[in-house]
Amino acid sequence: MAKWGMVIDLEKCTGCQACTAACAMENNRQPGENWQDVIYFTEGEYPSVQVKWFPRPCMHCENPSCVHVCPTRATYKTDEGFVLIDWDRCIGCKYCMIACPYGVRFYTDEKPLVGPDIKTVFKSNDEHSWNPPWKMPDSREDWKHGVGVQPRDVVSKCTFCYHRVSKAPKGTPDLSEHDPKTREYTPACVVACPPTARYFGDLDNPESEVSKMISNKNGVRLLDQLGNKPQVYYLTGVGGAVPSNRAIKKT
Amino acid sequence: MNVQSQERGYVSMSDTLIAHWKDVGTRALLKEVLTLGGERTTATTIWQVSLLGLVISLAIAFYMLVTEGHAAFNTNSWGVTWGLPISTYVFFVLTSTGLTFLASLAMIFGFDEFYPVAKRCVWLALATLVAGFATLALELGHPFRMLWAVPTGFQYRSPMFWMGVFYTLYLLLLLLKFVKIHGGDWDSRASRYLGISSFVSVVIAHSTLGLLFGMMAMRPMWYDGMLPVYFLITAAMSGAAFAVFFTYLAYGFSQERMPEKLRALASGSALPNVFATLIGITILATVSRTITGLWSNMDGLEVYQLLVRSPMYHFEFWAGLVVPFVLMLSPTLQRQAGMQILSAALVMASLFMGRLEFVVSGQLVPMFKGSALGLYQYAPSMTEWMLALVGIFLTFALYAFGEKLLDLSAQPARA
Repeated sequence: MAKWGMVIDLEKCTGCQACTAACAMENNRQPGENWQDVIYFTEGEYPSVQVKWFPRPCMHCENPSCVHVCPTRATYKTDEGFVLIDWDRCIGCKYCMIACPYGVRFYTDEKPLVGPDIKTVFKSNDEHSWNPPWKMPDSREDWKHGVGVQPRDVVSKCTFCYHRVSKAPKGTPDLSEHDPKTREYTPACVVACPPTARYFGDLDNPESEVSKMISNKNGVRLLDQLGNKPQVYYLTGVGGAVPSNRAIKKT
Repeated sequence: MNVQSQERGYVSMSDTLIAHWKDVGTRALLKEVLTLGGERTTATTIWQVSLLGLVISLAIAFYMLVTEGHAAFNTNSWGVTWGLPISTYVFFVLTSTGLTFLASLAMIFGFDEFYPVAKRCVWLALATLVAGFATLALELGHPFRMLWAVPTGFQYRSPMFWMGVFYTLYLLLLLLKFVKIHGGDWDSRASRYLGISSFVSVVIAHSTLGLLFGMMAMRPMWYDGMLPVYFLITAAMSGAAFAVFFTYLAYGFSQERMPEKLRALASGSALPNVFATLIGITILATVSRTITGLWSNMDGLEVYQLLVRSPMYHFEFWAGLVVPFVLMLSPTLQRQAGMQILSAALVMASLFMGRLEFVVSGQLVPMFKGSALGLYQYAPSMTEWMLALVGIFLTFALYAFGEKLLDLSAQPARA
């Protein structure tokens, strides 16, 4: 069985946010509810200041603290490595958001980040939290796996595009947008990445492109010291950097 | 009244109430509910004021939850996820824990001088527990789904799961214990076992609450295997403060009006000494946590820099802990009613703020660089304050109900 994972080459990432936009389109995300995001920050001080950026999907950890704390098993890890949420079981206690070190989980009911509130503009008449003017076909919506427009008062997160990846033929080592045979199974953020900074494949298959890149180019993981063991690896090369966990300066 | 007829009385209570309603009519029944029957006392006034407060705060909370949903909270996904309603829940359930400890002093551990407050403590433990649960239920996205999803999920790795199991067990055992002692059965085998098992269940329940925070390695401000012990001490302190405050409330804040045995307890040094000891240990724990936070280079503990600069922290520490500690330590002051009431009130206020500070501070430091420009900001919204008020008014309403109708001053004949 495959263990799906992602490699992001920070030397190639231009911080264009195409991944974020593609994810929002694919998964009907609202502004601020970025299952996939690119985070900007600065390093150093004037005159040697640098702007840095860092793409951040859900890490789909091997040892996910969010899964361990969920009192109802609404959040769970599949055999293929996806960390997903069953929206019919989620009680909205938000403990998983407390336990996630990566800030990739989103509660549905909060103050809108930008106005007007898109949920009131495109009001839902059923149990969905809102009714986007464009959305994936209803047949693809899958609340048991946290796919589609979520109901109110639950937590949502990146699914690694479960609705695409889970349909890939068994034994496929890599899912690439450049291969017509695998393109439709590839996560939206990977497909949309203009400089091909994102790679998706089977971490358990030594022949997969992602496995080779992680070992040959020294892939690293965000906040690895916490032991969550992300299935998203970063290649830092000489130009890129995984952000330090020191978030603010201690005075 | 013997115990069995008392229990049968509870079973037929609803039938009796309905029959009574038919007899006297709606208006008279409503008046009885509002006045709790009988002559007017302080408890009646507390009942009416807190009932009014409860209705208003609940109405506002429901209105906001129906129109805006939980978006009416100031919590959010990227910063502070758990806010005032959660800290209010922690405040109340830990107070309930402490009240059970205090009741257990007499009922389990043989300190007979604490019998005069035992029954009131058990009732207040129930009241605060219900208040905590009510606040939590309004905070949760799907409180009713919880009832089936938690048992069927059986996620034994989650401290929240065990917290649910043991606090529910505690609620049931405590309720049964109260029914027993209300029927006059303090010492039967069953009653003793109920007392012991409710004590054990709340020790475990509060520990799971401690671990719910304490096991979060990604949030160093909380990460502490000894957090259940810290919660144990502060819970006991909280319970002691509630017991002192509400006992005085029951007797118009005057030792003279108390029955002899209770007056002996209130004017003696045993209760203030227990209180002072608990405050003293809390001061020690607070200082050591703060020094560790300021000294350590560990990420996430930067929040202590913010804490020691905030006026709230200093109010909590100096006014809420040090002043009551000195008052309760002084051989002359510790016996005075006014000083005891002041100390209890200060400790209650300090703990309420302290729980908020604890819950929020663990979330203020961003997890990694870039996720925020500095520390996150949080101030509770009006709806969140209403949820806290629901808990507070519910506690007072239940207390007044018990004080008026359930003879909370009762104690075993032999004591």
